[in-house]
Amino acid sequence: MELTPLLLCAATAAAIDICSLVLILCAYRERSTGKKRWNKISSGMELVEQGHTHRLLCDEILIGRHASADIRLPEMSVSRYHALLTVADGVWTITDLGSKSGVFVNGVQIKRKKLRENDVISIGSRRLTLRKRRDVK
Amino acid sequence: MSNPFSYLFSCIFVIAAHAVMLFNVFSSGSYESSSDAFILAAAVIGLDIAYSFVMLFFRQHTFTVNFMLLLIINMSNIFQSCFGGVSLDVKHYVTGIAALVSCQIGFLLCRSHKRIQNEKKIVYICMILVMIAIVTLTGSRSMWVNIGNFSIQPSEFLKPLLVLACATSITEQQNKVRVWKFYIVRENVILFIMTAAICLLQWWCRDLGSIPTFAAIYAAGFLLRICYPKAKFSKKTLIAAAIAVFVIACVGVYFAPDYVKARLFTDIWSDTSGGGYQQSRALIAIAEGGWFGKGPGKGFLCDIFAHENDIVFASISEEWGLLTALMTVLALLIMISAPLFDPPRSYYHGTLAAGVCAAFTVQMALNIFGSCNLIPFTGVTIPFISAGGSSMVTSGLMTGMLTAAQSPEFHRIPGKKRGANV
Repeated sequence: MELTPLLLCAATAAAIDICSLVLILCAYRERSTGKKRWNKISSGMELVEQGHTHRLLCDEILIGRHASADIRLPEMSVSRYHALLTVADGVWTITDLGSKSGVFVNGVQIKRKKLRENDVISIGSRRLTLRKRRDVK
Repeated sequence: MSNPFSYLFSCIFVIAAHAVMLFNVFSSGSYESSSDAFILAAAVIGLDIAYSFVMLFFRQHTFTVNFMLLLIINMSNIFQSCFGGVSLDVKHYVTGIAALVSCQIGFLLCRSHKRIQNEKKIVYICMILVMIAIVTLTGSRSMWVNIGNFSIQPSEFLKPLLVLACATSITEQQNKVRVWKFYIVRENVILFIMTAAICLLQWWCRDLGSIPTFAAIYAAGFLLRICYPKAKFSKKTLIAAAIAVFVIACVGVYFAPDYVKARLFTDIWSDTSGGGYQQSRALIAIAEGGWFGKGPGKGFLCDIFAHENDIVFASISEEWGLLTALMTVLALLIMISAPLFDPPRSYYHGTLAAGVCAAFTVQMALNIFGSCNLIPFTGVTIPFISAGGSSMVTSGLMTGMLTAAQSPEFHRIPGKKRGANV
């Protein structure tokens, strides 16, 4: 085979390879901005319970006794599927999923409620506080 | 735009990659007149620049998937325009633009985590309408609807719809109803029935090659239901599902039409002019092309039926070399692995991404391994690389879903009861 066509074909493969690599690097670079975006969407909130912190990393967080719950509270006073936290427009909302003992926010029983910073959520015998993460400005 | 430097670098390197390919076409391609090569170059670089400019008007967090798509579609344009001599393949070029447009439509439709979930009935209605269209318009043993000079494959449109159905039903996992002794999720039953109906329809149309793609989309959705916190799948359920799949596959092979059984057990080298004609020619072409190919437009595979779609991997390998063909597949794999770099933040977007990845991976595997005689020949297309309008548009829509998973919106939908899906 002649050398020139061979080099051209090799250059073509190399060009596609380099372009793909650059696009991977761009995607990796944008990963950090993705985390910042999520902090903005979720208002950088977390749930705190007696020194234990639950990070809110998804738009729907299930709280319950069941092993598959996002935030697992293994107490008999907590239903298996107790409450659901959802986020929209940077505001977290808690919904009671028909639990036996109910969901209380700042001592008031609710079915659905928008949450604010430092609201205390009572689920069974557990108390969770919604607060801003300390590493988020 | 969150990162203008990434955008600029992506533009430059995509154009540079196409420029190198076009230089190869100019230097060692087979063309009657240099104006053919110039037209191709102008069309490809023009599309690169126009797309990069148009994308500035879209508010997205990241454009990686879009630029990967642009890279792949214009590579495909160059490949398809070179088969059998350099000349711009206008039909493929137009379908490529349609794929880019449908990608943005898919993105706008799916970026909100609630919009389609709140209107999921429309997804099922569309699926039923497409199935009715297949039954009434294509006729048995056929998968095409002919409208003038155009042929549409309606079953292709079921792929993005099935991905959407999987994604929109995932948030219903905790809504169980008791039927006799069992607690079942109504959405899961409906989705299973729809998938089974699609597979039966594909069987009826004799488009058996598409069944693994639909099965893969459903399997991705099924597996994500196990990961979804509100689901409760036991190991017994999983084992039962695996056994059911195995039994269905065995029954499918047993009752398969004769031509399918023949493909399963055929020796292509003892029947090079019959059942093994395409595959044997494809393998010879790959071998003749070697690592670096014969040169654009210098292959013989262009005379073989379906060289531009069913055995496109072999066609590219012959003219551009196995290395370039593998790089093309790698580019596709990188595009669908975008969710690994920035994981989706909702189960809805996660399921969309998983469904699209499953569909594209299975399609690529069926086409490439079929061309290489590692599995029976199926006639499934490689997304964006193979020619075919329906395939390009639906693949574009599905890529739009991937883009949506990368740049999601978490806004409330006005006029809808909030959290209607909980």
